[in-house]
Amino acid sequence: MRSRILHLASLLGMVLTLLPGCGDERSTASRGTLGVSLLTLENPFFKIIGDHLAEEARARGFDVIIVSADKDVAKQSNQVKDFLIRKVDAIVLSPCDPKSIVPVIQEANRAGIPVFTVDIPCPDPAAKVVTQIATDNYGGGQEAARAMIEALGPAGGKVAILHLKQAQSCILRVKGFREVIEAHRAAGGSPIELVMELDGGGARDIGYRAAEDALQAHPDLRGIFAINDPSALGARAALEKANKQEQVKIIGFDGMKEGKQAIKEGKIYADPIQFPDRMGIEIVHAFEDWSKGRGIAPEILIPTRLYRQADGLADSSLD
Amino acid sequence: MRAPLQRFFSAYGMIGVLLALCVFFSTVTYTKQAASGLEAAEEIASRIPKGASVTLIGSDTAEDQGFTDLLIQALARRGMSQVKIVLGEPQDARRALAELAKSPEIHAVVRTEKASRWLVFEDVATEFPSLSDVPWIQPRSYFFPNFLKADNLLNIANQIAVIAIVAIGMTMVIIAGGIDLSVGSLIALSAVGIAVGLRDYGGGTAASSTAMVACGIAAVAVCGLAGAFSGFMVTRFAIPPFIVTLGMMLVSSGLAYTLAEGQSISAMPDSFTWLGRGTGFLGLPIAVLLMFALYVAAHLVMSQMRFGRYLYAVGGNVEAAALSGVPVKRVIALTYVISGLLAGLGGVLFASQLKSGSPTYGTMYELYVIAAAVVGGTSLSGGKGRMFGTLIGAFTIAVIQNGMNLTNVESYTQKVVLGLVILGAVLMDKTRQN
Repeated sequence: MRSRILHLASLLGMVLTLLPGCGDERSTASRGTLGVSLLTLENPFFKIIGDHLAEEARARGFDVIIVSADKDVAKQSNQVKDFLIRKVDAIVLSPCDPKSIVPVIQEANRAGIPVFTVDIPCPDPAAKVVTQIATDNYGGGQEAARAMIEALGPAGGKVAILHLKQAQSCILRVKGFREVIEAHRAAGGSPIELVMELDGGGARDIGYRAAEDALQAHPDLRGIFAINDPSALGARAALEKANKQEQVKIIGFDGMKEGKQAIKEGKIYADPIQFPDRMGIEIVHAFEDWSKGRGIAPEILIPTRLYRQADGLADSSLD
Repeated sequence: MRAPLQRFFSAYGMIGVLLALCVFFSTVTYTKQAASGLEAAEEIASRIPKGASVTLIGSDTAEDQGFTDLLIQALARRGMSQVKIVLGEPQDARRALAELAKSPEIHAVVRTEKASRWLVFEDVATEFPSLSDVPWIQPRSYFFPNFLKADNLLNIANQIAVIAIVAIGMTMVIIAGGIDLSVGSLIALSAVGIAVGLRDYGGGTAASSTAMVACGIAAVAVCGLAGAFSGFMVTRFAIPPFIVTLGMMLVSSGLAYTLAEGQSISAMPDSFTWLGRGTGFLGLPIAVLLMFALYVAAHLVMSQMRFGRYLYAVGGNVEAAALSGVPVKRVIALTYVISGLLAGLGGVLFASQLKSGSPTYGTMYELYVIAAAVVGGTSLSGGKGRMFGTLIGAFTIAVIQNGMNLTNVESYTQKVVLGLVILGAVLMDKTRQN
């Protein structure tokens, strides 16, 4: 009997020491609490959104709870339900699945808690979202296409796309990319041919395999457009293995640190870069505007900027 | 008196841990709550100066609407019937304040708890100086643990329902000496299956209830077939269950992705959410009632029926069981069928809760389900385990996850804590038995 109590005590002790900053009372100075559930914190992009959101919110006197949904929509909906129990003042989401998250957003709507989305919008009209902050992915895709045209020069050539069809943002990127390339061809520009569209999984390993397959199918491939940096870097590894890094130019997307580094080293030709830091900050401002009763746009698009090797060489944040 | 109690605790040792966790999380989530209901409305009405013109500002939620009605009645009993009601968003509150600032009468502004947290009131002193002397009245607050709120307790039960239901089948598989890694993928397959079925054959958002039942049964049956196939491979070819169900996990996950084309499918009628989000008897969610009913049934099967005794016999010693005439292969194969069927049911529940089917559902669930069984005292070497033990195990996991979400523990730390608690629970169980 005594040993059981001892075990119990040690177990609880263990839990206690691992709970930093527990206790839930809002400090009197707090102007409110933001509950944030991001798609994943493994991807540095969302980490930057989270970090800047937290920094800006704390600077303005808000409390922040940031959790990672680990791309699991069931987990995310549980997190939102827990936010509602805790009576947060706003919920910020980058939905794991814009369709499956709708019922949970409706639950927040019924509880009168404003919902904001960041990076991944929830377009369903049944879910009331105060404002959706995202990169202008369509415009970014167009920018990527212009970079591809520039990279391939007058010779043109075959181009493969490493897609991630589950993500609405990537569908927009590829749409913008295709439109500009096709318009370029129709206008009698350099002969660029979009030969294949493969699933790059948005990840290094899958991007690597997809690029290998693309090279098998089209040994004379000239360009790869990857919808994010990890799959672009995976493709680069495949090119190096096949010794075709000079022949094939890569355009990535995102402009995370490792992507920028690769651009600086000439491994990726260019990236339309996103500004996750600005997204995080804008969310806090959007919440404050809403709560103060000021008008607010239903969608805030943050434009991308093309980042080439010259930008990388001038970038002091890189090694 | 002592003996049965002791027996109960040694049978369900984890219940002590579960209770301790509940006490712990109740203590650390002790939080300020706003008073509500009739008493709060009366109390607020008593604080309003006589003859003041009252404006009430609140959000457009059912909660605030209900409170508004109570307050109007309370004020009417005091002879005040002139109440201006503004229920909406902060924007509406701002407009109301601008309106109030124009008229010089004596006001009293009542804010619901929700509205009192809007930042629009921060600017009153600077933007509407004429209102700075107005009494601002809002519900008094009291302290109560967030964890113990009825909403949250239901929340926990609802969150764990799928895992707990699937864990019934897993407990049977493990007691018979096997393991089933395919349940997570089968959940996804079933959720996608019912979603695709409703979209393509049931009429999408206009599907009839017959179509919903038919698609649900079909989805569950497909998972039962997958389980039967695993069971067949395990018993007929003596392939280790770990390998067979690992293969089945990949197969069913791949099928789910193919069937759904990598997308989530949400063409379902609103009434489909009845199963996952509806409430029934005593206001308990249907999913939770279903979970308890299944546990009672499973407990009866395990303790009263021949099949249950066979399971323990097979898991304890296969050869002895075979020699004493237990149809070993049939019993083992049946556990996989049951596990598959329950995973299928879990998938249907999931699809109903989230009103969509996606191949990403159920990722890692096999591990949570196994953890629930093991934390609940089921021995991975077979032959030992109890149904209600598994239920307690599932609740332990749910309470830890929910508690940590309520207390602001970072997701990474949550994983560490959960892992340690599972290890600790099993360790405690081991030492207690020796």
